[in-house]
Amino acid sequence: MGGMTAKVLFFGRLREIVGCSEELYDLTDGAPIGGIFAYYAERCPRLAEFRSSVVPSRNREFVDWETPVHSGDEVAFLPPVSGG
Amino acid sequence: MRAGEDGAIVTFDGCVRNHSHGRSTLYLEYEAYESMALEKMREIGKQLHAQFAIDRVAMVHRLGRLEIGETSVFIAVSAAHRGAAFEACRWAIDTLKSTVPIWKKEFFADGAVWAEGAIPAASAAGTEAPSGAASLGKRAS
Repeated sequence: MGGMTAKVLFFGRLREIVGCSEELYDLTDGAPIGGIFAYYAERCPRLAEFRSSVVPSRNREFVDWETPVHSGDEVAFLPPVSGG
Repeated sequence: MRAGEDGAIVTFDGCVRNHSHGRSTLYLEYEAYESMALEKMREIGKQLHAQFAIDRVAMVHRLGRLEIGETSVFIAVSAAHRGAAFEACRWAIDTLKSTVPIWKKEFFADGAVWAEGAIPAASAAGTEAPSGAASLGKRAS
């Protein structure tokens, strides 16, 4: 037991809603990335209304919500991008 | 950028507009998922070389607070012939705007909003290997 964590990053309006840009998440190894979002949506209910426009990433690649997360992974929830 | 075999360099200079959706913009603030943004920008460079008959690519996006008229993004593409350079430069800025994790907040006299933005396709994944210069610039304020 112990020490299974993923780094979770928030950007833009999601960062403002959650109130932090980075947090360590205690992980069940292989849990889907959607479950991590659900955890934060429970903690910060306003997150849920943005889920349909959020794309998750694991280790800096866009992934789908079913993607399993492993200890040491870097997870982020990305709002619609608006560079340029 | 410029080499002896090049006959064209096309550049795109994206700058901060003074209005958005009918409101006067005061300034913009950009933030990025920097490590992923740089990877995505390098992927764009790699894809450009695979799809267009070009020579070199440079791509820069600034972060932090930018004032009206300042450049936020700059792309340059060199090629033997202008057609490929124009097409590649256009594809590069379109792809950057729809896939690179950068966000802008627009500040107005009466408030601020996150720009609407584009939802990247989950299949916009790719491979590594840089093929040009990509950078993110953050201004110390």
